Amino acid sequence: MLKAVHYINQFFGQVGGEESADFEPVLQEGPVGPGLLLNEAMKEVKITHTVICGDNFMASHPEEAVARILKMLEGLKFDVFLAGPAFNAGRYGVACGTICKAVKEKFGVPVITSMNEENPAVEMFKSNMYIFKGGRRATYMKQDVEKMAAFADKIARGDKLLPASMEGYFPRGIRHEVFLEDLGLEPKCAADRAFEMLLKKLKGEPYETELPIPKQERVPIAPAVKDLRKVKIALVTSGGIVPKDNPDRIQSCSATKWGAYDISKLDRLMAPDFKTIHAGYDPEQANKNPNVVLPLDAIRQYQKEGRIGEVDDHYYVTVGTGTTQAEAARMGREIAQRLKERNVGAVVLTAT
Amino acid sequence: MVVICNLVNIAKTVGVNRIVPGVAVPYPLGNPNLSPEDEWKLRYHRVGVALDALETDIKEQTVFTVKI
Amino acid sequence: MKLEIGNFFVKDIVFGDRTFYERGVLTVNKKEALDVVFEDSHITEAELYIVRPGDEVRLVPVKEAYEMRCKVSGGQSVYPGCTAPVAPVGSGRTHALKGCSLLVVGKHWGSFQDGLIDMSGPAQRNTIFGSMPNLVLVGDTDEEFERHEQQKKNRALRWAGMRLSEYVGKCVKDLEPEEIETWELEPVNERASDVRNLPSVVYVPQIQTQMEALGYNALVYGWDGNRMLPTYLHPNEILDGAIISGSFMPCSSKISTYEWVNNPMIKRLMREHGRTINFLGVVLSNLNVVMEEKARSAMMVANIAKALGADGAIVAEEGYGNPDVDYILTIVELEKAGIKTVGMTNECTGRDGTSQPLVALDERANALVSTGNVSELYELPPMKTVLGELESLARDGLSGGWEGCVREDGSVIMENNAFFCSDHISGFSLKTCAEF
Repeated sequence: MLKAVHYINQFFGQVGGEESADFEPVLQEGPVGPGLLLNEAMKEVKITHTVICGDNFMASHPEEAVARILKMLEGLKFDVFLAGPAFNAGRYGVACGTICKAVKEKFGVPVITSMNEENPAVEMFKSNMYIFKGGRRATYMKQDVEKMAAFADKIARGDKLLPASMEGYFPRGIRHEVFLEDLGLEPKCAADRAFEMLLKKLKGEPYETELPIPKQERVPIAPAVKDLRKVKIALVTSGGIVPKDNPDRIQSCSATKWGAYDISKLDRLMAPDFKTIHAGYDPEQANKNPNVVLPLDAIRQYQKEGRIGEVDDHYYVTVGTGTTQAEAARMGREIAQRLKERNVGAVVLTAT
Repeated sequence: MVVICNLVNIAKTVGVNRIVPGVAVPYPLGNPNLSPEDEWKLRYHRVGVALDALETDIKEQTVFTVKI
Repeated sequence: MKLEIGNFFVKDIVFGDRTFYERGVLTVNKKEALDVVFEDSHITEAELYIVRPGDEVRLVPVKEAYEMRCKVSGGQSVYPGCTAPVAPVGSGRTHALKGCSLLVVGKHWGSFQDGLIDMSGPAQRNTIFGSMPNLVLVGDTDEEFERHEQQKKNRALRWAGMRLSEYVGKCVKDLEPEEIETWELEPVNERASDVRNLPSVVYVPQIQTQMEALGYNALVYGWDGNRMLPTYLHPNEILDGAIISGSFMPCSSKISTYEWVNNPMIKRLMREHGRTINFLGVVLSNLNVVMEEKARSAMMVANIAKALGADGAIVAEEGYGNPDVDYILTIVELEKAGIKTVGMTNECTGRDGTSQPLVALDERANALVSTGNVSELYELPPMKTVLGELESLARDGLSGGWEGCVREDGSVIMENNAFFCSDHISGFSLKTCAEF
């Protein structure tokens, strides 16, 4: 029987909800919350301890959180480390990924977690650990737990592991050759595979390439706006321009949050009412005159001249330094969603 | 959408289609070496180019030209 | 053009007083056979062995594999332009000793392109030769100029193998075959309308031609493939000996001469001709090392394919590394010409599996068959008998070996790269690559 340690957040750890997100990590004996389900599902592994940590504590103090947790684990004997499932929860997913990566590096044990494909942590961490493909919400708890458990059992038994797509986790970017017969598949020779693939391609039928080529970043070109006066414009920036007290506590680096701030009564951004919190560039000019990063004054001038029509009541901001591609993409999606809700038709985005 | 930024190549790499060059990283639409009046003219001009870009049909990623 | 291949299914090979075939057993007169080998005075030592599937035998450095066969009609030799004068092949009758091969092994000295075969154990399945009886020529030569070179032309031994394979093949020349394969493909312009209505396909093998000096590259009717431009071949020509494998390619990527005359891709396309496809034939290309030459070959392949009216193509790259550029370029040019293309070759992902599998990539190469990974590490147990010299794997620069990879006890750690033709880019591969 192998031993496992399980990591969960404050919510699943039954400490509390968002208000407890700053909960500092603790180590408890035995399984907790979803750990109970996980424990029951595993036949060859049992959870001896659970780490519970607040998502915000981990997000805001990752080094500290990781250091403390690793210290807690130092005295323990364990063979597997499990985290989550985190479903679509961004901060929780990142927390699971962060701690799993650290544990793997320090203790060299297999680490297993589970997340939904849209969780930004998948892109960030899939190469470092087994992230099983999970559902979007906690309603998928049972299925996600079962997948993690089955794999943990496989590892415990020393079974031969199959390719990612067959096991059910996100491919880690490691390619190996395999004999088809070892996958339990009909050993079809390459000539036959090539012919059959070509026939499908010729007929326009779906086929699966054996070597997927990574996609290049391309964004479909939005059609030109016919008349800007008829369309609502919004200003967005990754330059970290925020109201002076940074009410949403957007991080100065590696941001995971974005903000929307009311400019409906303003003709320009005035210092010190607005400033920059972006840690990646010299703030002097932006703090003197925030319009050099978010050009509200120029926009208002064009509005007065009738060049453009309506401007969104709010502008939108995050910080673009250290921010992962995955986090930025998530925030971009969320901001886009908000813009749609507010009927915005065109965006001027300034980046620093 | 149009992006105004100094690091045009990065914008291209991530797939931005309408790009207007910014002056510098810390001040895409400013320039401390100019008088406040000239700096304003620069900002006004480049934002204008950005607005024009929004109304321009393009077939591929395009970096628009600025005069000042 | 119609070619008949008369097959004699060899279950076992033995030595005896005469060279003859009877009811599944091939008997070889060792002395006569070696006399044929020693016809070339550059051969200084030679011995013959027989290995069978299950034997605890390891063969290294293996330089080439031939099918033992002979022309009955429609030509004099199955190696036109090499051991015989230039002459057309691909028609008439050829007799073949089926289900076995002649392997040529160096007595001591290996080279980058030589490889390893195990007849039993975990690596038996890594090459098709592990599952058939093989006549084995182990020899040494006086080719001092390349004795210690990593790149060897291996000329004396390879030509000896060709002579020997034909000598043995001749023993069935006048016999009645147990089976006759008939390969027939009418001229492109003379096909029935129901055939012309099927999607038309070309096969585009890119043969190994990366050496700029002569004597190493794959040959077409004896002509160096580096010195050719893409051209059209009738598939029968390849099934009957027009292509001889070269002596350069890192071994797992190599397509042995045996595999050219048994090419399963050609055979599948021929069998499907008139049923599901209109097989237009072979557009033969190469893998030169100058960017302009790569671009030229890719362009010409697409031009020829387009002029033939191809709807689809299968491109096979006999290599990895910089030839991946030719592979991708050719696929892209074909796709640009509106020809739906499937690619077939191996990958090189590095030992940890995380390197980019092909040196060049393009989104348009969206239908690829992967036949293996040159970087895959294998641990092999010691073998009772080694034909050749085991240390050559570690000492002579074989593509998947390195200093120290051969242990004292005879066990070995090596990359798939050094298995003889193991990625079977000819189409025999039963491997793929997958992400973990």
